[in-house]
Amino acid sequence: MRNLNINTVKAIAVIIVAFCIGVSGYLFWEHRNFKEPIVVSEYITEVKKLSDYSDVVKGTANDSNVYIFDSGVEGGCMLIWGGTHAEEPAGVMAANLLVENLKVTQGKVIVITRENNSGSTVSRVGEAYPRFYNYQTPWGTKTWRFGDRHANPLDSWPDPEVYIHYPSGQTLANVDIRNTNRNWPGKANGLLTERTNYAVTQLIKAEGVDMTLDFHEAELEYTVENTIVVHEKGQAVAAMVSMMLTSQTFDVPIGMEFSPTALHGLSHREVGDHTDAASYLVEVAEPMLDRIRGITDEELLMSGKDVFVIKAGEHGLLYAPIDENGWPIDKRVARHVATATSIMEVNNTVNPNQTILIENIPSYEEMMNNGLGIYFHNPLGVSADRVYYD
Amino acid sequence: MDILIIVNTIFTILTYATALFFLVAIVRAFFKTKNVQNALVYCIIMVPFVLRLLRLK
Repeated sequence: MRNLNINTVKAIAVIIVAFCIGVSGYLFWEHRNFKEPIVVSEYITEVKKLSDYSDVVKGTANDSNVYIFDSGVEGGCMLIWGGTHAEEPAGVMAANLLVENLKVTQGKVIVITRENNSGSTVSRVGEAYPRFYNYQTPWGTKTWRFGDRHANPLDSWPDPEVYIHYPSGQTLANVDIRNTNRNWPGKANGLLTERTNYAVTQLIKAEGVDMTLDFHEAELEYTVENTIVVHEKGQAVAAMVSMMLTSQTFDVPIGMEFSPTALHGLSHREVGDHTDAASYLVEVAEPMLDRIRGITDEELLMSGKDVFVIKAGEHGLLYAPIDENGWPIDKRVARHVATATSIMEVNNTVNPNQTILIENIPSYEEMMNNGLGIYFHNPLGVSADRVYYD
Repeated sequence: MDILIIVNTIFTILTYATALFFLVAIVRAFFKTKNVQNALVYCIIMVPFVLRLLRLK
């Protein structure tokens, strides 16, 4: 009787656990394999893969699409990417918006929407993150994967006990080996994220990139917030952009900070040091990243409203203002897009030989008034050759 | 292929081998135990090993 009982319990337990593995396994599989359709602008020149610049990422999760807009008219070249950190959706959406609308009439613009694609195929363990986020457009719902700050351990594991940055030799937190904003300029024979950045660095050199811009978001508890972090080579442009946007466009000022020379691995430092490009990184407030947040769901991610973060703001504990309106995704994306276009405009005057002229990108006011939906296009409403998947 | 990438690949394979080893050990202990509480615990702790070996999480 005793054996029968224990065997019955075991059988029931196995059935329950198998059910849980089946359900959770499907959800994990769906998240890891979901493809984001992107309707490229009709003015796009070419779509390459990152492995076209270096085969060290070929066949990996980070062999991302590279969207190229070449006017054919001599001018500057700017590389813009989102998705360094897949838990910062404004960067991905801003890069996506550029790819779907951009027209370049002088110079060249290159966009990568998912710089660390692997990080978007996993959510952060223990944080109860949503798997996806959605935006309502006039034609339906557009969906993106929500992810983690680091590459998926299924794509890069184990982490070293101590992460030694190449080539500086600086020791960093071991988990940052999977953080693509800690291993620039990359390493051809390193782990996945090091190889990813190596390939992007090869892209920068091969395409003759003059400026790079890395889209990010940050918690309001963090000091580097609503700002442009810039390498020495771009300080004049960044300062002017900061002043222009703060005085004429944004309700919340955007600052400008020098890239620390002693902190290695970040794009604003290493890209500028190891290539000819001036490197910029832009931050905007994302309340969902704050440790003091409440329920961690898609609503918070997209609205940027959280009562606990707002309360912290009332007590002066934050580095960015927040009120009952929160930091909605429209505002965060609009700030990124406006910053990108402003950097181009100012750089045209500071470095006329690097002129880039663009059209078809909405202004900050247009995005705030119209929402973002009309700037994303229906993948079922265009010819298949304009639809790519990230 | 570069030696460092080969070494890393070997370590990756070893981590999966380790996960398989522990899963087999847990399953074996699950079948051998006569204690209900232990059986339930074994059942629960095998979940992450299964998910990792199936490359789901």
